[in-house]
Amino acid sequence: MNRRLALKQLAMAAGGLALIPSCDFSEEKVLAAYDELQITESQQQLLQKLVDTIIPKTDLKGATELGVHNFVLVMANDCMSAEEQKQFLGGLKGFDDYTKKTSGTRFTKMDNVEAEKTVNAILEDKPTSDDEMATKYFLQTTKKYTIQGYLNSEYVMTELMPFQLVPGPEFNGKKEIVPGEKVNING
Amino acid sequence: MANLNIKSKQENTYGAIVIGSGMSGGFAAKELCDKGVKTLVLERGRSVIHNKDYPTTNMMPWEFEHRGQMPEDIQRENPVVSRCYAFREDAAHFFVKDQEHPYIQEKPFDWIRGYQTGGKSLLWARQVQRWSDHDFEGPARDGFAVDWPIRYKDLAPWYSYVEKFVGVAGFHDGIPQLPDGEFLPGIELTAAEEYFKSVVEQKYPGRNVISGRCAHITGNAEYYAKQGRGICQHRTICQRGCPFGGYFSSNSASLPWAQRTGNLTLKNHAVVHSIIYDDAQQKATGVRVIDANTKEVTEYFAPIIFVNASALNTNLILLNSTSKRFPNGLGNDNGLMGKYVAFHNYRGGVSGEYDGLKEFTTEGKRPTSGYMPRFRNVDKQETKFLRGYAAGIHGSRSKDVNYSGTGADLVKNMMNPSYGPWRVGSHMMGETIPKESNYVALDTDQKDEWGMPQLKVNVDYDQNDLDMIQDYRDQLSEMFDEAGFKNIRTWDDERRPGLDIHEMGGVRMGHDPKTSLLNKHHQLHTCPNVYVTDGACMTSTSTQNPSLTYMVFAARAVDHALKNQG
Repeated sequence: MNRRLALKQLAMAAGGLALIPSCDFSEEKVLAAYDELQITESQQQLLQKLVDTIIPKTDLKGATELGVHNFVLVMANDCMSAEEQKQFLGGLKGFDDYTKKTSGTRFTKMDNVEAEKTVNAILEDKPTSDDEMATKYFLQTTKKYTIQGYLNSEYVMTELMPFQLVPGPEFNGKKEIVPGEKVNING
Repeated sequence: MANLNIKSKQENTYGAIVIGSGMSGGFAAKELCDKGVKTLVLERGRSVIHNKDYPTTNMMPWEFEHRGQMPEDIQRENPVVSRCYAFREDAAHFFVKDQEHPYIQEKPFDWIRGYQTGGKSLLWARQVQRWSDHDFEGPARDGFAVDWPIRYKDLAPWYSYVEKFVGVAGFHDGIPQLPDGEFLPGIELTAAEEYFKSVVEQKYPGRNVISGRCAHITGNAEYYAKQGRGICQHRTICQRGCPFGGYFSSNSASLPWAQRTGNLTLKNHAVVHSIIYDDAQQKATGVRVIDANTKEVTEYFAPIIFVNASALNTNLILLNSTSKRFPNGLGNDNGLMGKYVAFHNYRGGVSGEYDGLKEFTTEGKRPTSGYMPRFRNVDKQETKFLRGYAAGIHGSRSKDVNYSGTGADLVKNMMNPSYGPWRVGSHMMGETIPKESNYVALDTDQKDEWGMPQLKVNVDYDQNDLDMIQDYRDQLSEMFDEAGFKNIRTWDDERRPGLDIHEMGGVRMGHDPKTSLLNKHHQLHTCPNVYVTDGACMTSTSTQNPSLTYMVFAARAVDHALKNQG
């Protein structure tokens, strides 16, 4: 746990440094927290845009606001096999070029409507090439972890779908459902 | 020098030594200390003190970096323990990693271990069904293993004694093969389970569905407050250690109780090398211990020694306890020690859905589930396989979340879940037949880092187990079908032996020193001041979870040891 915390702080430090204008984009810093992935600040920003496309801010908080993009990277870095990481990274690194090729605009330059349309199209498409496969895998995985990170965030689990750490000794095996009552997946 | 040795011998001498602080060792220690015996408990793992050393117990789900999942590199480095359902981010620190204590799998075997104060009593699934004469008479009736030297009537009062201390939630169900006990208020079944129960009990005479009896405090709060324990709060994250002491563990109950008598000395990081046998006195006089960290060897002495190191480690210690009198392991004149190891068959599972009872759901969480006591071959042999299986039964209302789409649509979908059908499921708990060919033995070459021989494990399923899995799948899916459940699916997950975490035997009980290692009081036939009351002593395995019975054995054996001390 401490190792992770240290790495996260390191990453924040690295992220901070990257804000200093630099002309040498070829030697962009890799984010130290995600040692397996070796991704850069701009790739992280792309991912940030992507998770916010999947779960944008509405009346409710959006994914980026909850730091879900970091969760996606932690899971990709720590919980994927080498093969899965390869596909995921292939998709991530090529994503901007891929969208430029298929829709004429880089994903990072799209407005929200276009971004969502593009993501949906890729998710619904049947991939035919390796490129398309990696892209779709990357998107599916990102969506999966985005949903997981969002639904299991403190915000959702306290304000929207309250979770009780100490439910108490009452258990009702046959509770009558009140029609119209909100269903709580953590209840 | 001579004087120093005498002094150290005096300092290292106790009224009794207990090897292992888990379920059975903890209870033996409690009983000994309660009766005024200065008791040394040797635990090979680190100290885990109730409520002080439960680092994850109050963590919220979002505070786990991987939301519970174990990182890929840890899984890759630990294929064995990673197969255990409870080896997750919240409790991984209570499991032994694969490299920490290597063993030799001559046949695939997942040895799941917990080396710390309390052992696996922190991690168990807390089901405490009594055994019955259908279990203790099984070998004699069916002609396998050897006859148990005890019967249910020998244990019944001890079951009551232990259950009262432990705290057992349950109902009086009046089922002959699953005797009732001393119960606190039971935890109710869900609507789907109730319904399934009514179908089964109507259409299949002799088959029952009940609420599984579990080691959770659901009443009599004043009595348990004396143990420092409170009512179970149904958190159902027991494997982290319970801050309320709501479920029974050595850490929350028996060891603190023993501590308060002033008679307990608990020594951690104490890897037991062997039991010392004195040829002149013709008895065991003590225990040789290696410090897990410094590797320093120390000897401790006592007139009574309880071996409760967990089934396979108890075999390992006894086999490694060689002397002129016992060149093949302490008490092992007949060469049977390590043999007739058996376990529980958990391979089969069934699932389905029920579209009825739409107006109901459940509220809250419960630390148990439905349970179907053994119904096969109970009074007479009716199948081609010997013995039978019990089944866990669970039914809960599913919640459907629509994850389709992205953007505002996805948010709206996710935030408006609905109730789906009831999901019903079951898993089997089958009895396996102890066989001479299922054994553990010491490797003559490979040692672990403490210089102990590595344990070789040779345990496998047989045709009886496969036939039983098939029968379980057939019977349960038929009953599910009778109940009108849909989308019924059955499977055999082909898990490796050991993953049931109910390994038993190797130092079995029996009447005859020629065919067994322990007598009816759990004493080694040929070294009677050494008692074994953990899983190693089991002659056969029944279909019920064994931990309660280990504690009963420990309490009963301590009583015998103190009444018969020369």
